[in-house]
Amino acid sequence: MYKLNCILLSSVNNVCRQLAASLNANGSSLLFPPLPGQESSLRFGGVKFEELPILHIKATYNNTHIQLTDSAGKSMVRTSCGMEGFKNIKKSTPIAAQTAGISAAARATTKGVRFVRVVVKGLGPGRLPAIKGLTMGGLEVVSITDNTPVPHNGCRPRKARRT
Amino acid sequence: MSRHLRFVARTVMVQNGDVDAAYNTLNRILTQEGIIDTVKRKRYFEKPYVERQRKNFENCRRIYHMEMARKIAFISRTNREDPWLGC
Repeated sequence: MYKLNCILLSSVNNVCRQLAASLNANGSSLLFPPLPGQESSLRFGGVKFEELPILHIKATYNNTHIQLTDSAGKSMVRTSCGMEGFKNIKKSTPIAAQTAGISAAARATTKGVRFVRVVVKGLGPGRLPAIKGLTMGGLEVVSITDNTPVPHNGCRPRKARRT
Repeated sequence: MSRHLRFVARTVMVQNGDVDAAYNTLNRILTQEGIIDTVKRKRYFEKPYVERQRKNFENCRRIYHMEMARKIAFISRTNREDPWLGC
């Protein structure tokens, strides 16, 4: 069932990509990432798209965490706003997220990482500033994915706030 | 996401190093798909009676806007052939 879904999804995606490719007949515009299905000749610093390290950004409403892992999932660098010396309410600011991004980029470049794919989770104040901080710190962002968890009516969230 | 293929859905490649444009494209796609809306709404629990009211309101709003757009498009037609030709 899972394999059937995979095949269905990849076939739908292929159709979408072919449509997009036929619409953008320029050749230089590429909106969707290369699938693992052996299509691409795209290399970022000699590395294929599937083997680039992944940078997870978890942007909650009170804080922003940044973690860099390699393509297999092993963690390399981990920072957050609290680790930059911000406390309490100052952690949930865009400036704190930008600082965290810069420090994460600095640590990543010392480990020899240049190109990175970004995965964002959550809708918090540090969602965009963290990515800005990465580029300011000298890391090259190759693609941005959104991995915000959307329940299909799973767990019941807390009750509505009355202010 | 662990049960689905990764880096396939909700992904945008950055072109020519323009991260802002890529982020804006991603945001636009997410808003059009209604994901940002859903995430904001599901932060707190929405009681069934509130949900019914909201859905009803959105239905009425959609009907009103469609009809208004149709009316405006009809009224602002110019350069059409003479409907009373020959009279």
